[in-house]
Amino acid sequence: MAPINLSHRRTHNLLLISKLLSLRDTASPLTLVLDSLEQPATPLLKEYIRRAKLSKVHVTLIAFETLKQPDGVDAFVSTRRKSPADIVKEVSAVYQPVAASNPSRRRLILIDSINPLLNSKRVDPGFHLPSFLGSFIAPTSPSAKVDASLVVTYHQDVPELPQQSPYSPTPISELTYLSTSIITLHSFSHVLAQKAARDRSLAPPVFGLEEEQEGVLLGRLDRLVGTGKAEGIVIELEHRRKSGRGVLEWYLLPPASRYSPQHLKEIVTLLDDNVLYNPPMEQDPGAGDEEPTSTFELGLTDRQRREREGVVLPYFDAQHNDGPGEGGRILYDMGEEDDFDEEEDEI
Amino acid sequence: MPSQPPLPPLLAPYVSNLPDSSLTLVSSILGATSNWLVLRFLHAALSSPSPNAAFGSDELHNGTKKKVVLVSFMRSYEFWRTEAKRLGLDLARLADKQQFAFIDGLSELFYAPQPTATPSISPSGLGSSPRTTLPMRSPPGAVPGRSPQPAWPTVTGARGNAMPKQAEPGIAKKLHFSGRGLASLDALEKDISSVIEQQKSSMEDGDELLLIIDQPDLLLAATGPSMGIGATEMSEWITALQQHAHATVLTLATDAPLIHNASTSGGLATPIETEHAALVIGLAHRARSVMQLRTLDTGAAKDVSGVLRISRGGGLNASEESLEEREALYFIQRDGGVKVFGRGES
Repeated sequence: MAPINLSHRRTHNLLLISKLLSLRDTASPLTLVLDSLEQPATPLLKEYIRRAKLSKVHVTLIAFETLKQPDGVDAFVSTRRKSPADIVKEVSAVYQPVAASNPSRRRLILIDSINPLLNSKRVDPGFHLPSFLGSFIAPTSPSAKVDASLVVTYHQDVPELPQQSPYSPTPISELTYLSTSIITLHSFSHVLAQKAARDRSLAPPVFGLEEEQEGVLLGRLDRLVGTGKAEGIVIELEHRRKSGRGVLEWYLLPPASRYSPQHLKEIVTLLDDNVLYNPPMEQDPGAGDEEPTSTFELGLTDRQRREREGVVLPYFDAQHNDGPGEGGRILYDMGEEDDFDEEEDEI
Repeated sequence: MPSQPPLPPLLAPYVSNLPDSSLTLVSSILGATSNWLVLRFLHAALSSPSPNAAFGSDELHNGTKKKVVLVSFMRSYEFWRTEAKRLGLDLARLADKQQFAFIDGLSELFYAPQPTATPSISPSGLGSSPRTTLPMRSPPGAVPGRSPQPAWPTVTGARGNAMPKQAEPGIAKKLHFSGRGLASLDALEKDISSVIEQQKSSMEDGDELLLIIDQPDLLLAATGPSMGIGATEMSEWITALQQHAHATVLTLATDAPLIHNASTSGGLATPIETEHAALVIGLAHRARSVMQLRTLDTGAAKDVSGVLRISRGGGLNASEESLEEREALYFIQRDGGVKVFGRGES
């Protein structure tokens, strides 16, 4: 992308992701995080929790697959054997004391995986996903104004069960329709490997389940060929503004070991700013004019260039009749080493 | 061929000292089965640190005593006993010492032999499945159905010294599937957790209990959505069992049709394909590490049995611990010893 564009994106889009991850101004009431086995959402959720702690946001985790309450989570709601309505009730119950003491406190609700709920056999057919999710963000009583953001994780690689009704949309299309931001996660080393392949016009490699190799669930290995030491996760963000305009951007979230939990400054960078993804060599403006190196001198001196420009090529002569060309006749000056050929002269 | 150490050094860090409430997934395919790896988990937990020590000296082993509960849906106790013996583990003896408990999910899961002479067709729990139309014996008069359930504990017995009438000692419990849906899973969970609690009753502080469930996917395959059991229910069931144990090891099949058909056949996959894939992939998202077994990509070789790839699962807490991913080859020798080595080494 053009460099002018890049600096614009640097200021605006970094501000945007920082707002989204830190839940400022409820920029996104419903964020959908699409992850896969190749890049699980755990590091991103940890980052959400870390930032929520820093800004004293109340964190609720609705656990469909987490066993133990992670650090930094204020309320842990286990969903085992609970109907969706029970979950909604419990989630609003755990917030009651907080809301009573500090009504202005913002709230973050995390769902660690929505798939078990979507695939559950127990959920009655009347279960309506949009109203289930909506009830977290907009509580029924209008008096209790809660500033809540919901972050829902969806595992892309878990197959969806066939729909009860063939005419209803799939849960994932409902989710993508509802969300205000969609974050798709990629593994940085895979992104690098795919870019390296694209740069050579090769088919980008696939990893893990997509390899469709028998017995392979996860393809990720620490040392992928050609990627060096690439740590961190790549965030592909699609944010829908209230105006309806969409923002698309790729970011890089460094691994949690690179910064302290109290770190306040923005740690997310644009993927295009990364040296591994976009090596500085390619950004050098003079790079395009470089001559290929060889043992021959391929350049011209100034004098040679001037003389070359002064040469009148034969077809310029041929275009006007008064010149020596006389309409395209071949002019040939004999060199002294040439043989005179009589037959040729007669033509 | 020189005999191999029971626990290959390359493997040791991955099968021993599993952290608290961790889930380890072992995936296998038809050509690369997982039982040797399960035996290595057993060995890492149950054997004494010095290889020469007798089995009797297990208790004094650097503070933490480990116990294992093995739930097997695919293989019988006899199999595990014989194979463990080749590694130098006497399971019967360990069971007597309350260090090991075997739960048999294979032999009588869907079959309830009547303790008395009452002839009866077997489990009504199969409901409308075709099997009820093919009774093994013609039932005279009323069918007693599944009522003997309360009688079971007295027959199979809670584990312990009084192992009643069971032909095979060492089996703590035999699982019986009855009913349908969540209730039947609850019953199984209760059976397993009662054995776990029994083991725990003799545990001291710092002792760890390892739960190994061998191929619980059989349960899903044998019941399926028509009986109200799907991937979500199964993984909830596993979550519940996980809560009783210190660490959990699961083995699951990842043969290509069971994993890939669901995503590639565009909605034409059978329920078992979809549910199985959802279960395995969902569990891999929760697991701390995933140990994947597969055959050699280049075909059969006479000194390589298969490839073991150890990956970090989605549930690994990366900020608190690190797990080195690696891929290694393994070779199972005729004497049951296993060699694990990197590519290009021998």
